[in-house]
Amino acid sequence: MSTMTAGPAESTLAAADFDTLAGGLTEPEAIAEARTAAWERFTALPWPTKKSEEWRYTDLAKVGFEALTPVVPAPATAEALPADVRDVLGRSGERAGVVVLREGRVAHLELEAGVARSGVVLCSIRDAADRHPEVLRRALLEAQPGPAEEKLWALHLALLGGGYFLYVPRGVEMPAPIHAFHIVERAGTLSSAHSFVYGESGARAAVIDEFLSGDLDAETVSLHGATITGEGGAGIEYVALQRFGRGVKRFSTQHVTAGRDSRVVTFNVALGGDLSRADITSRLDGPGSDSEMLALWFGDSDQHFDHHTLQHHAAPHAHSDLLFKGALTDAGSSVFRGLIRVDKGAQLTDAYQTNRNLLLSEGAHASALPNLEIEADDVRCSHGATIGQVEDGQLFYLMSRGLTRRQAERLLVFGFFDEVLGRLPMEGVRARVREAIEEKIGL
Amino acid sequence: MSEPLLSIRGLRAKVDGEDGEILRGVDLDVQRGEVHALMGPNGSGKSTLAKVIAGHPAYEVTAGEILFEGEDVLELEPDERSRAGIFLAFQYPAEIPGVSIANFLRTAVNARLGEGEEMDVFGFQRTLTEKMEMLKMDPGFAARYVNDGFSGGEKKRNEILQMAVLRPALGVLDETDSGLDIDALKIVASGVNRLSEADEALGVLLITHYKRILNYIRPDRVHVMMAGRIAESGGASLADKLEAEGYDWLHRAVAAV
Repeated sequence: MSTMTAGPAESTLAAADFDTLAGGLTEPEAIAEARTAAWERFTALPWPTKKSEEWRYTDLAKVGFEALTPVVPAPATAEALPADVRDVLGRSGERAGVVVLREGRVAHLELEAGVARSGVVLCSIRDAADRHPEVLRRALLEAQPGPAEEKLWALHLALLGGGYFLYVPRGVEMPAPIHAFHIVERAGTLSSAHSFVYGESGARAAVIDEFLSGDLDAETVSLHGATITGEGGAGIEYVALQRFGRGVKRFSTQHVTAGRDSRVVTFNVALGGDLSRADITSRLDGPGSDSEMLALWFGDSDQHFDHHTLQHHAAPHAHSDLLFKGALTDAGSSVFRGLIRVDKGAQLTDAYQTNRNLLLSEGAHASALPNLEIEADDVRCSHGATIGQVEDGQLFYLMSRGLTRRQAERLLVFGFFDEVLGRLPMEGVRARVREAIEEKIGL
Repeated sequence: MSEPLLSIRGLRAKVDGEDGEILRGVDLDVQRGEVHALMGPNGSGKSTLAKVIAGHPAYEVTAGEILFEGEDVLELEPDERSRAGIFLAFQYPAEIPGVSIANFLRTAVNARLGEGEEMDVFGFQRTLTEKMEMLKMDPGFAARYVNDGFSGGEKKRNEILQMAVLRPALGVLDETDSGLDIDALKIVASGVNRLSEADEALGVLLITHYKRILNYIRPDRVHVMMAGRIAESGGASLADKLEAEGYDWLHRAVAAV
């Protein structure tokens, strides 16, 4: 327990001031700076209420932030892999590296030697702040989300220090994904981690962020931020696989910047937790850039999932395609709120946005709010959303083969999800996501 | 005589929520190992009977009983009937995009095995490959989504494939021959014959509008359905008579009753 003496003093968020948050930690200047400014913003800003469009269906007032104990991640340690992580890795295919984070603190980090030799950097955010402060600073600045997200983003940054940094140099093609495990173990805490993924021109990288915990007996909040940048011609595949246990409320803010002729795929999968919100922005920053945004969720019990997206076309000739599908049963609920924004100069934009929802029970509820905001005049954009039920004919067909109603419904959910899964380029990544979904759906 | 595999007595049924019975007192026995052909004009209730046997929720049984191996199945859900050994080959099989035939059939096979007795992937794959060869199906077929974008012939072959894998005690084939060209018809018919040979106790109720398929599957009994009941039963020669004379003589006979 000697690490505890080096950690910050523990108090609730309500009682915390910046000194207690930082207490006892020496940290890189870039982080200290960002955290100080963020803490000031956080204390000055009001919490968004249900009056704001962005938070109309997800009530932040019901999250007891004030009573939580903030965790500022201590410096990285080198622990053995936890059993559940070993278990997942044993069943997964090839990988180029593994990161294990406990409440944001890097507890284990490994990068395949050959990949490291090619110049790929994989380290903790703290180390990155020492070694690449400018890259980090710029990326965090660019990732500034919209006004409605500012309060949570400020809180995330005020706790910054946890998370990892992946940097793939020019032209380097990583042969396999990096697999990161974000583990939350301490009930009643507020912790945060950042995933930083940067691909220089022509780089290829794939990352899985897997979020997990047991069922926790007190309200616990996990904040997450991701900044994903692809320079010219880069290809990046990013997966956030959220399978927290009950008791956890999760807020993730993800920001993609796609440079000229780059292609960035993001895939969010929400399966666990009590509440899970992801705010995902893709900025089409260079001509010819391509952003594919994918998501799947399956909610049961009284789980609530909220996906909030922005496809921001800032450059001409860019393409973005969003396909989000959710299925809900019991009293599960979900919100999709998406916007395609096309700037005046972004002519010849191709942008699509589709959200489909499948409801398996009377008590389940989905809201879908797709939107367009177009200032250019030569664009192709479409958006659509559906909310429907399982077809009786399909259900009877499957049941007539001996599947129980529950099995038949779950198999149909699988079929419904398959279109999205099929769009994940890397087979190993796809297999892991499919397995996690199977586990949750329980066929 | 031993207890029939399927015994239908005085069965009356209608579409749930509508007036007007479609089945108006059906009596039919199928013994183990027998192939019965059920013929009749359009709208006589043949397909309704097939769906009611399988437990389709759109129909309401207003009177009568369906005994399968001596047990009343009317209170059973469709999946319970299936696991008990009743199989319906659909006239219009549902399309299930996103679900592969292999995944679907493995789930169906495991649904009838106990917890912990599930078939492993390799054992299942062997069974599936063997049955697909029997039906002259391309091995890549198993990876395709269930009936999604299938031709009529592929859909019907897929129905027989499922029957071959699930090995029911009773197969109800609802117009499995319709929409098939002669080559596809022969393959489907030979598939059914092979299943009958492999399982001597298999009972088949073959519903058809045309005699054509009966050139390839020899029925033990032929029944003709008219206006919601069995109007005539006989041996295989009854099918020949229907082929030669049509249904008119039966219409007149029914009208005279």
